[in-house]
Amino acid sequence: MTGIFPWLILFLPLLAAAGITLFALDHRAVSARLSIGAVVISFALSVALFVHGTRGETRFNWISLSDGAASWIVDIGLRLDPLSLMMLLVVTGVGSAIHIYSYGYMHDDPGVGRYFAGLSLFTFSMLGIVLATNFLMLFIFWELVGVSSWLLIGFWFERPAAADAAKKAFLTNRVGDFGFLLGIILVWAVLGTMDFGQLQKMMAANPALIGNSTIGIAGFLIFCGAAGKSAQFPLHVWLPDAMEGPTPVSALIHAATMVAAGVYMLCRVHFMLAADALEFIAWIGGITALLAALMAIQQNDIKRILAYSTLSQLGYMVMTVGLSGVGGNPSAAMFHLTTHAFFKALLFLGAGSVILALHHEQDIWKMGGLSKKMPVTFWTFMIATLALCGVPPFSGFFSKDEILATAQRTSPALFALGVAVAGLTTFYMFRLIFVAFTGPVKSQLPDHAHESPAVITLPLVALAVPSLLAGFWGIDRFYASQFGTGEAEAATGWVAQLTAPFAHAPGAAFGGLAAVVIGFLAAFALYWNKVQDPLPAMLGVVARWLRDRFYFDELYAKLIAATQDALATLADFVDRWLIAGLFVKGTHGSVELTGRLLRLVQTGNLQTYSLMFVAGVAVLLLFMLIR
Amino acid sequence: MGLLSFLILCPFAGAVLIALTPRSFNVLFRLIALLTTFLSFAAATWVFFAFHPGATHVQFEEFCPWVGALRIGWHLGVDGLNVALVFMAALVAFAAACCSWEIKERQKEFYLLLLVMTGGILGAFASLDLFFFYFFHELALVPTFIMIGVWGRGENRNYATFKMTIYLSLGALIALIGLIALYVAAGARTFDIPELTRDVAARPIAASAQHWIFPLLMFGFGILVSLWPFHTWAPLGYGAAPTPTAMLHAGVLKKFGLYGLLRIALPLLPEGAQRWLPVLALLCLGNLLYCGLVAIRQKNLNLLIGNSSVAHMGFVFLGIASLSLVGVTGAVVVMVAHGLLAALAFALSGYLQNQLGTLEMEQMGGLLRKLPFVGTLLALAMFAGCGLPGFANFAGEVMVLFGAWGGHTTVVVLAAWAALIVGAVYMLRAIRTVLHGPLPEKWSGVADAPHAWRKLPFALLLAGLLLFGCVPRLLTDRIQPAALTVVRAVNGTPAALMATTQLPR
Repeated sequence: MTGIFPWLILFLPLLAAAGITLFALDHRAVSARLSIGAVVISFALSVALFVHGTRGETRFNWISLSDGAASWIVDIGLRLDPLSLMMLLVVTGVGSAIHIYSYGYMHDDPGVGRYFAGLSLFTFSMLGIVLATNFLMLFIFWELVGVSSWLLIGFWFERPAAADAAKKAFLTNRVGDFGFLLGIILVWAVLGTMDFGQLQKMMAANPALIGNSTIGIAGFLIFCGAAGKSAQFPLHVWLPDAMEGPTPVSALIHAATMVAAGVYMLCRVHFMLAADALEFIAWIGGITALLAALMAIQQNDIKRILAYSTLSQLGYMVMTVGLSGVGGNPSAAMFHLTTHAFFKALLFLGAGSVILALHHEQDIWKMGGLSKKMPVTFWTFMIATLALCGVPPFSGFFSKDEILATAQRTSPALFALGVAVAGLTTFYMFRLIFVAFTGPVKSQLPDHAHESPAVITLPLVALAVPSLLAGFWGIDRFYASQFGTGEAEAATGWVAQLTAPFAHAPGAAFGGLAAVVIGFLAAFALYWNKVQDPLPAMLGVVARWLRDRFYFDELYAKLIAATQDALATLADFVDRWLIAGLFVKGTHGSVELTGRLLRLVQTGNLQTYSLMFVAGVAVLLLFMLIR
Repeated sequence: MGLLSFLILCPFAGAVLIALTPRSFNVLFRLIALLTTFLSFAAATWVFFAFHPGATHVQFEEFCPWVGALRIGWHLGVDGLNVALVFMAALVAFAAACCSWEIKERQKEFYLLLLVMTGGILGAFASLDLFFFYFFHELALVPTFIMIGVWGRGENRNYATFKMTIYLSLGALIALIGLIALYVAAGARTFDIPELTRDVAARPIAASAQHWIFPLLMFGFGILVSLWPFHTWAPLGYGAAPTPTAMLHAGVLKKFGLYGLLRIALPLLPEGAQRWLPVLALLCLGNLLYCGLVAIRQKNLNLLIGNSSVAHMGFVFLGIASLSLVGVTGAVVVMVAHGLLAALAFALSGYLQNQLGTLEMEQMGGLLRKLPFVGTLLALAMFAGCGLPGFANFAGEVMVLFGAWGGHTTVVVLAAWAALIVGAVYMLRAIRTVLHGPLPEKWSGVADAPHAWRKLPFALLLAGLLLFGCVPRLLTDRIQPAALTVVRAVNGTPAALMATTQLPR
């Protein structure tokens, strides 16, 4: 009976999306029920599969071409293993909370039907990535995720900023996908298959393959895809702009799940990433983590701060994948992905609750004093912040500690970078808390604010529980079983689990804690009870650089104008003036001119004809004589 | 009478009927056109789904000798190469008839020409006789010119008509010279294509002759398909054409040149193909990359769609040039997919033209609010055009890229750039300027497709794209045996799926 479950999990959201699009676009309640119902049932079925401990694959053929010697076969299949099972729970679980929250958040929008159709389409696509059994199927759902993200970022398409952000997100992702597709083709050209199971067997049977240079290049190209979707430097520019979408969308897609797809994909194909590629991946992740954390400390839009924080945390995860080494165990990255999904979704939903209460004001310097007006929002937001900063015993402490421990083992430079980022994280998060939630009220808006209704606060509370406790549930060991490395026996009991990190890798644990304390003290010193940001005065031009995101967007705009747009202008010029102009019109013109000239000869005058006749004879005679 | 004869003769019968109907019965012309194209469509659907996939032989074959001395005969039949094209052609023809409501003047002549064009197209794709193959194509081409000249729009429609007429006649003429040369060089005694193919396989044409006949066919047929740099007629012509004509020509008739390459040039001239297809692989970049870049710069929606339609032909050329099973199969899939897509895109832009009176994109904006149905479909068509999975175009394009990788790696890299990025840039820019953003006040009176009847052609074409995109086996299983025959005929070796790059030791 469980054989049909994975298919239902995957296709129920698609059915909901199709049903809403065809029949319920104008029915707010029906569309919400369909969409929420689908994701909740998917969640329940995922829990059933998880409890049952199902493993294995099921598939049907999508395209099959073969001439007997070689073949090109693409299946649509579902693969259940620890990696995908846990990810199913995250996507459908966090997704359920956000779907329900959306019903409250989007209640007054005229486009609710369209919104829920997009959300369901996204859930379907994301589940497809999670369950995919081969590269091309992964790529198919990868693209579908991209388009659902486009739909939802551009949900308020009449706002130019939202429409531009949607376009930018899609195109930046496409740049990554360009490399990804070439990588997939290369893998198939070299190894003859795109199926993860077969590839893994091949790599296991022939360990020398991982040193093969072509496979190394394929690894780099595949990472391009992950860099696009997970918004890694230098393709990170789309994610902050994506905050133009509705806040629940930012929570689900641009914080908890879709942007994590790149990390998930890297873990899925970790077995074929070579040492060079992994080192490259680690540094890209590290750079992203640091750059984004720096940019976050000078942002004033509550959602943008969280977006840069997401970038930074994704950088952590990617860095960890890179640091795990060939044949290693990247489960720390997946662990952080999971806890991050809980607390970052919670942060965004909390921000949404604030934004709703303040009538869509997002500038933190116009907030203040919200902790008393919105206690549920504040306390859940606080839990998520502590988890993000990595304060024990919150979930983020455990996952971040594993990351720092991995870095400490393998790369001192990246370890130092990781600790610095942890300090910056605490700094910008408490800057947000001190400015928006505590301290003096900075505009009239917060005076009229009040706590959001239950449909919004209940999902907050529901997400606060795993944000607080997920560190104790053995998620990391569950992931580790995927990668077959013998993990040490887990500590039992709450206290033992809490002290284990300090015993295993004291450097990482204490280093991380020290960074948190320093970050907190700095934020307290600068922002407690402040009505103005003191940093720009202290840092001068640096602060402006941070606020303007190191001018990456401007740089890229110039770059595109200088290359692709210039080429397009050139091509258009050639097309208009050379091919259609000079050649086509030139041919046309010269034929016409010849016709006009020859017409002059046809005068109808007998004398002219006889003169030309004599001239012709003379020329012929001359020609014959000279010869 | 067999099904294929029925589906070809239906539109012609309709045309005769219209010719005999008095001019005052305006409603009747439209009804006759709808009915006959629908009958053709129904028959083609039956043929497509009753076609036995996996078999190499010609199915639904009909033969009736005509000119005994020259061995010309009414020979119809479908195999993997043309079964899906016939289905697609009939579907587009029906949709085009549905979209003809925009024609208000001289309806009798218009519907008559539309039906002649439809019959010609179906005949060209279903014929297995060289004479009828060419004859039906010309029969379909002539109405195209007249329709653009008489019912076309825009200031330079005369120029567009002339340009298109000269280009296409020239292409058809060069191809004709090639066909005659081929016939003579083969020492052929028949116009029957399968028989000719068997003869040539047993007694190949001299390599030296193949080397100069193949380019005649390649460029002759290529001009018909807007092969770069002979493409400038296409965007201009489609921009000036009335909607149904643009749908039928860009969607279906244009594919005749590609079909000719696959049906005749490659199997009969394998040596010539081996020598010249690498040139085609390079020229296809002109379509994919260059025309894609040109499309980025367009300010008129129809010119943008026209240029993108030219760009998409590059995939088919690349798939053919790959000479691999995956690539050639992919090329045929793209032919079918692009036929549906081009028809859909031109139908939608025609709707916009009728509502707005202009297609200058700068004047548009925010139209999705006023046109939820048409706008959504336009966005979907744009996404299909930039290769979104779920639409048939993705399946075909990705197969072409995989199939061509072994032989033309650099071209594939650039083609992937054109497909994934250049295509997305102009498609998304179009959506952004036409559908998104604030709505200018002057368009507040714009109305969406009012009832199911107007929505039907759009919905049908989209359904076709989605069906083949989600279940591509419907196409690939049918195409595969025929594609394999073509590939084997050219490569000679039995196991030539694709030149897989060997793993370095």
